[in-house]
Amino acid sequence: MGEIILKINGLGFSYDGNRVLNGLDLEIEKGSFVSVLGPNGSGKSTLINLLSKVLKGHEGSIKLFGRDIKKLSSRDTAGFVAVVPQYSNPGFDFTVREMVLMGRYAHILRFGSEKKPDIAAAENAMDKTKVLEFANKKFHELSGGEKQRVVIAQALAQDAPLILLDEPTSHLDINFQIEIMDLFFRLNRDEKKTVIGVFHDINLAANYSKSAVFLKQGRVFAQGDIKSVITRENIKSVFKSEVFVSKNPFTGKTYISPMFLNEAAAARDILGSVKTPGTFTSQVKRVHVIGGGGEASPVLTMLYNLGFFVSCGVVNNFDTDLDTAEVLQIPYVSEAPFSPISLHSQNSNLDFIRGSDVVVLPEVAFGHGNFSNLVSVKEALEMGKKVILLNSKNFKTRDYTGGKAARVYEKLLEKGAIVADNISEIPHLL
Amino acid sequence: MNKEVFKSRHISKYIIPLVVILVIFIIIAASVGSAKVTIKETGLIIASFIPGINYLIDEASLNQQNVKIISQIRLPRILISVFVGIALACAGVIFQGIFRNPMADPYIIGVSAGASLGATVGLIIVSGVKLLSISSASIFAFAGAIGVTFLVYNISRIRAKISVVTLLLAGVALSSLISAINSFILIFRSQDMAKVIFWLMGGLTSASWQQFYIIAPVITVLLVFAGFFLKDLNLISLGDERASQLGVETEKVKKILLVLASLIAAAAVSVSGIIGFVGLITPHIMRLIVGPDHKALYPASAIAGAIVLLFSDTLARTVLQPREIPVGIITSIIGVPFFIYLLLRSKKEVF
Repeated sequence: MGEIILKINGLGFSYDGNRVLNGLDLEIEKGSFVSVLGPNGSGKSTLINLLSKVLKGHEGSIKLFGRDIKKLSSRDTAGFVAVVPQYSNPGFDFTVREMVLMGRYAHILRFGSEKKPDIAAAENAMDKTKVLEFANKKFHELSGGEKQRVVIAQALAQDAPLILLDEPTSHLDINFQIEIMDLFFRLNRDEKKTVIGVFHDINLAANYSKSAVFLKQGRVFAQGDIKSVITRENIKSVFKSEVFVSKNPFTGKTYISPMFLNEAAAARDILGSVKTPGTFTSQVKRVHVIGGGGEASPVLTMLYNLGFFVSCGVVNNFDTDLDTAEVLQIPYVSEAPFSPISLHSQNSNLDFIRGSDVVVLPEVAFGHGNFSNLVSVKEALEMGKKVILLNSKNFKTRDYTGGKAARVYEKLLEKGAIVADNISEIPHLL
Repeated sequence: MNKEVFKSRHISKYIIPLVVILVIFIIIAASVGSAKVTIKETGLIIASFIPGINYLIDEASLNQQNVKIISQIRLPRILISVFVGIALACAGVIFQGIFRNPMADPYIIGVSAGASLGATVGLIIVSGVKLLSISSASIFAFAGAIGVTFLVYNISRIRAKISVVTLLLAGVALSSLISAINSFILIFRSQDMAKVIFWLMGGLTSASWQQFYIIAPVITVLLVFAGFFLKDLNLISLGDERASQLGVETEKVKKILLVLASLIAAAAVSVSGIIGFVGLITPHIMRLIVGPDHKALYPASAIAGAIVLLFSDTLARTVLQPREIPVGIITSIIGVPFFIYLLLRSKKEVF
């Protein structure tokens, strides 16, 4: 355990009678890099403003380096805590150098002026943020990314051990976002600065910080290392949003993807189906989706969220469709990786088909290994099930069996399979 | 890396030239008027009053009548216009800084309306009363200016924090109300209207050494005190929130500066009436020249304000000799076209 530099107990705060923070407890260790995440109105910005004494009049206690923040002057607080906000244009046209030197305010006496250490600190900060080269330029003339770097330099010139980030990158292009987050990463690693950041972008937070705090309705909902906090369940209960939590293939770090359920929502509006996703009732149709190559995933996600009882098969292990089925906790039939579909699996698949009302075939490519899936679809038609084929026009490009699959596919069309031109038509054809 | 750029070069680059210009203007201003005194003689007469160099001047060689004209009539008026100019420009700098808006002027939160009402009361209702040889109009103008500012300030303070918008709106609203009261008084005393209007148009005709001895120390003390908050003004222009994050006790500093700037403006108005545009335009011009750093802007604007008002007042008393034009008319006639020129010339939005 490192030294606790920030200890918050029972923190409460209201704006005009509107309760924003409600009994928040938090301890931050020296040298940590913590992301504070939560939806709008969860109290993130209020927390930052209380920690920097922009807001006063809280309940409970905030102890900065063991000292009660209520007893610290603004100047003392600024010596402990530097805030990096989103840049905003000052009322007058200062130069970059003047802006950065303003960061030294807390270190300069009321009747004094900037001394050598102040100038050195400002230069050092400008060097780190690579703004020295335009030190004499007017702030107004800079680009957004450059302005943000100047604001960071201003905060670094403050020379405070704790840095609070108040969404300093959310208005910047991706290259600047990364550049700026890299800078804080290095400050944390090399200079042992403690960083607490409020972010909207969960992936950015997950990639750069060591731990995360989820705020919900003015309290800490979850806290801990990234893997234990950034989970599908936590995000669902904090943000009320369906996401897919995976690993970034390049970094191995936690990575979330929103499910983007707009198509499902649009279809639900038309169908009038208001069933809770995944709940099965006798009126709800059972739909079996043929998987492979990740093609089934969007169909599964949409139908699942429309409240249909969905199953999937046959998919090889490590196929994205299988991940999706696991995340959605829907039944599936799987096969060993890179292996042809066994008779056993094919029979299980047919069992699912037998139990379903509709079978959907997405834009799966067929080779000899998964050819039996196509045969199962044909059998579904023969059983009298409704079969929906997604985009029949490009089947030739998906046929790796030398025409064998195409012939079966032709038969499906002859025998009355329905064709959906795009995924959003599927719910209407069910 | 060149460390020089960090150092304050403002003094040698801007302040000294401005002071030289001011001194030249003072000598010229002292030499012009209905009695002709040469520039050289004027310089000698002024020098003879300055301890340390006066022993160099043979006082017997000076025309005693000219000495009297300059020392008793022109110099007090010149020095008062210098101080009023300094006060207006500095109050302008402070108000523009607090409001983060280059359109703010020293009268923005009710100083002028309060001073007008006070002057009306002083000129009409309790005229003739004098305190320390200051006219009742001045005393009541000062009291009125302070009173209205105080009222505006308290209205805008109701919701814990002082809001700039509330401050401005309360100032505008209260100013209208007070102007209405002022006009109401004047309809019953139409015989005094000319007197009041002439006072309101601004002028330094009543300047005297007594007035100077009171106004100069008051303005000096207030200006020096406000001068301790110039760093804070720089930070406040980044926004109240950012200033607090960087360590400024924003609310406290804003209150102190509002009070100081209002007192400075009220002190100026009480001796000179309402002189427009000096407090608005001088900081504006100086910002273009020295930049927005208040540590440079404040002293530079002070001296520039003195120059502008001295120049205007000299024109006011000489162009239509022996008739005087209220100096407020001159400052507006010169100031407005210049201001519009600046507006059109600047490529950027002013705000």
